[in-house]
Amino acid sequence: MATAMTGRGMAFIRNVSGVLHSRLQVLGPQQLSCLHTSASLESKNWERSNRKLYPPQQPDEDRRPAEIHHSRRQIKYSKDKMWYLAKMIRGMSIDEAIAQLQFNDKKGAKIMKEVLEEAQEMAVKNHNVEYKSNLYVAESYSGKGKYLKRIRYHGRGMFGIMDRVNCHYFVKLVEGPPPKTEEKTSFDRAKEYVQNLKNRTVIHSL
Amino acid sequence: MNWCITATNCGNRKCSFAGKMATPMRRTLVALHRATWSSFKNAEGSLDVRHPVPLYLPVRTKKRYFVPPAVGLKGKNEENPEAKARAAGLVFRQQYFERPINIACTAGIFDPYIPPEGDARLSTLSKEGLKQRTEQIRQSAGSQLAIRKIKEHDSQFTTRSFAERAQEIFMEAHDALTQFNKEKLHSLVTERCYPEMTRGNRYKTISWRFVESLEPPKVVHARCPDMVTKGNLYGQVTVRMHSKQILAIYDRFGRLMLGGEDQPKDVLEYLVVERHLVNPYGRWRLHGKIVPSWAPAKDPIIKTVMIPGPELKPGQEFEALNYEVPKPEAVQWNK
Repeated sequence: MATAMTGRGMAFIRNVSGVLHSRLQVLGPQQLSCLHTSASLESKNWERSNRKLYPPQQPDEDRRPAEIHHSRRQIKYSKDKMWYLAKMIRGMSIDEAIAQLQFNDKKGAKIMKEVLEEAQEMAVKNHNVEYKSNLYVAESYSGKGKYLKRIRYHGRGMFGIMDRVNCHYFVKLVEGPPPKTEEKTSFDRAKEYVQNLKNRTVIHSL
Repeated sequence: MNWCITATNCGNRKCSFAGKMATPMRRTLVALHRATWSSFKNAEGSLDVRHPVPLYLPVRTKKRYFVPPAVGLKGKNEENPEAKARAAGLVFRQQYFERPINIACTAGIFDPYIPPEGDARLSTLSKEGLKQRTEQIRQSAGSQLAIRKIKEHDSQFTTRSFAERAQEIFMEAHDALTQFNKEKLHSLVTERCYPEMTRGNRYKTISWRFVESLEPPKVVHARCPDMVTKGNLYGQVTVRMHSKQILAIYDRFGRLMLGGEDQPKDVLEYLVVERHLVNPYGRWRLHGKIVPSWAPAKDPIIKTVMIPGPELKPGQEFEALNYEVPKPEAVQWNK
């Protein structure tokens, strides 16, 4: 085993380990604890944000819109394929989103529709939302789940590692009508561009 | 000894040289032993020392990086070690999976008090009002018996002081509910009443205030049921109180769900307070409320709720004009 490593390789490893050791010694025990404070694999922060309690509002303040976070974990689908659907429904009202997903041919569309319907029911039952159609999709994205690794056999004794992909899907519904994106006409954009050009000056000049 | 011990020493059992080298190996071993034994004998004879000198013949000194698993390991896990221990004579005592439970409160209200109709509506000056006022607890014999039993266990029990104490417990319990102080709430409220008070309130803010008491609280009813065994006495006393309270419930986002901060409401309540009499450390705690059948309907919440409509057959249409919203029955229930 020792013969496999070259002399240079050993020296390099010794250097690296020495540097790391010195670095770790410089960091005290208090600073070491902040290297990995939140457990990245077991924490379910999205679901926990549903438990946040706000203080009571004064009668003259604007009514705070209700926010409902919902997710589904370990969906047997690819996160990149799920992203297309998640991007499609961003900003839509919930009825429109459910309608679009119902008539979409992708596998993830059916799962996403179930998630949205669950979230809508949760909103009405638990989070004091008055009208179930008065919700819109504020955030929606997909994330990588835990992959299972398998061997994919190639010719000539070669092999590749095959991933059985899983993804998570997160959605945040907010009460109220969907926000309108102002569409700028091309004439307006051209005008803005010309104005930017006109605003150019020479600074620090005599 | 079917290992391959050729010059390469690949250690392969399946190698073609494996079994073939066995017999010559044994012959060389025997020869070696004879040779060394003779030399050993010579050495001993020359030195005149009579103690055995161990002879180490290094055979197979190469370190084995892979030790194959012994044959027959797969079948060895079938016999359970329990049966073996029993056969050997080890006796295990029978394990009882029991856990003692302490029941500190009853499951409901036994023999509930039925409040007379129009209790707080009639003024004291009219004839019916006087009749009601003169109806004291001395009328019902059951309550008298129960109060006598309670006085056996708790000597300082008087109806007047107890009514005030019950009101104090009620106020403290509701204050603890607004702050959501779990330990204090458990000490003031029984285990049966606690989930009823706190269900759904975890992610809500409740603000409650007791303005004033319109009538002094009165003990109206008492019972002493016993649970499971005959001597296990619990005392349940019903107290009637008429007071002004302010209640406002805010949901998770701080929006008003029910009530209002500036609307004091007149409330007539029948509280049931309970204590485990046999337990010397028992305390009088709020056990529940009795809602009479003639109680006025509560204010609706500030939210429109969908009621499920009637079941329609295919082809039948929903007639909105002739449809009456079903109302709940007027039955006395315990809260």
